[in-house]
Amino acid sequence: MESIREYLVEQIFIWKLLAAARYPLYLTALAMPLAVVFGLVLAAMRRAKTRFLSWPAVFYVEVVRGTPLLVQIFLVYFALPKLGHLLFNSDILTIGPFPCGVLCLAGNYAAYESEILRAGLDAVDKGQREAALSLGMSERQAFGYVILPQAFRIVIPPIVNDMVAMLKDTCLVSAIGVRELLKTAENIGREKANLSEMYMAASILYMLLSLGCYFLGKWVEKKLKAKGGQELPAGKFEH
Amino acid sequence: MSAEQPPRPPTAKLPAEGGAAPLMEVEGLKKSYGPKVVLRGVDMQVTRGEVVTILGPNGCGKSTFLRCLNLLEQYQDGVVKLKGEVVSRGRPEDRKATEEEQAAAQALRLRVGMVFQRFNLFPHMTVLENVMVGPKKVLLRSHSEAYDVAERMLSKVGLWEKHPCDPLTLSGGQQQRVAIARALAMNPDVMLFDEATSALDPVMTRDVFGVVRELAAEGMTMILVTHDMDFARDISDRTVFMEEGVVAAVGTPEYIFDQRPVPGIQKFLQRG
Repeated sequence: MESIREYLVEQIFIWKLLAAARYPLYLTALAMPLAVVFGLVLAAMRRAKTRFLSWPAVFYVEVVRGTPLLVQIFLVYFALPKLGHLLFNSDILTIGPFPCGVLCLAGNYAAYESEILRAGLDAVDKGQREAALSLGMSERQAFGYVILPQAFRIVIPPIVNDMVAMLKDTCLVSAIGVRELLKTAENIGREKANLSEMYMAASILYMLLSLGCYFLGKWVEKKLKAKGGQELPAGKFEH
Repeated sequence: MSAEQPPRPPTAKLPAEGGAAPLMEVEGLKKSYGPKVVLRGVDMQVTRGEVVTILGPNGCGKSTFLRCLNLLEQYQDGVVKLKGEVVSRGRPEDRKATEEEQAAAQALRLRVGMVFQRFNLFPHMTVLENVMVGPKKVLLRSHSEAYDVAERMLSKVGLWEKHPCDPLTLSGGQQQRVAIARALAMNPDVMLFDEATSALDPVMTRDVFGVVRELAAEGMTMILVTHDMDFARDISDRTVFMEEGVVAAVGTPEYIFDQRPVPGIQKFLQRG
């Protein structure tokens, strides 16, 4: 009896590890929708005709895509509070590790999602907007009822792809002390002196989560069944 | 082009030079893309119930002209009137539309239906939704009102049984008839057809022309840009021949096709 109890206590770490597997899901579930919304704003800014809107968006996208996510996380977590002290002499720019993780993941992925969304919006046939306008719709109605729903179907597969990538990138926020899956695995591994096994276990969990996400994405895709523009050979009927 | 033509029913309608006040008037419409001048001042009058076809060689500006009529293209100079009231004016290329101009453009498009060469049905909606979306979202009709309109219009083009379908599963001719129903559901004063059958095979073309003929018989005012000479000759009350951005000749189809009043028509018809 005693030995069984000891064995079970010994095995608690497994439950701890499994419980920690919820963090990649939490982080992704919070950051990805934010990334898509922010990405849509960036895409809209970039498509705008005035440079006051398009240039900041271009600048943001290029800077974010050109620097590593880990560096961005460090900058927001360590450098931003310093800037806050310098400029406002307050903790106004100091962010806790978990919100900082969500913010950085969202901000980073927004740059990529904005490019996907921009391509998706451009992929909707120009004739769709014209048909909507010719029915008396305003530009805004044409965008909301006609262009955006079609672009959305086009961008679902690449966005799901990025969602799986983000799930794995959530491990980077362990660097600022968020006790997510990787951090938990490391902590257990150090305590039990079985670090290699714990990294292995964490890998398997990440993979299972990714597969889960992937199949969820495939299911959504199937439900929405991506439909592009008209299936006419492009250019054939142009003047 | 063969001289043989299908027998044409005598038309009671008279050209616009007759007494009736014009429904749509275009005065001195000029349009250019940067330095390239496309329309050099086009004048046209269309009376209620009249069917006008616009012919001309590629690049003569006929499609652009049609698109200017519902402001899918902004023209630089001139005036378009509907029922005697100015509905749009030319605007310099470098000036953006003001809020009022945008609202006016929207109001104009409500009264002018358009059918496109490539149908442009909304692929994310069913056939029924395609026809209902205008009445519902733009005219703010109730669901049942919009449904009734859609049912009537789809029945008119003979496709009510297709109403639950995905538009892309339909043939080109069927898609174009749905597009016509969609435009008709807005109850426009004028219908514009921009090469509505250029992307269709002869059988589908016949079906679409059948619908157009029916509309003509019901007294719908229509302006058509087409490459189908037989059809143009058959359906038009008046034919406009455009060349290099101007109206080169206007008249009954017999006048245009048989008398060929300007050398351009001769060349154009021979090549066709």
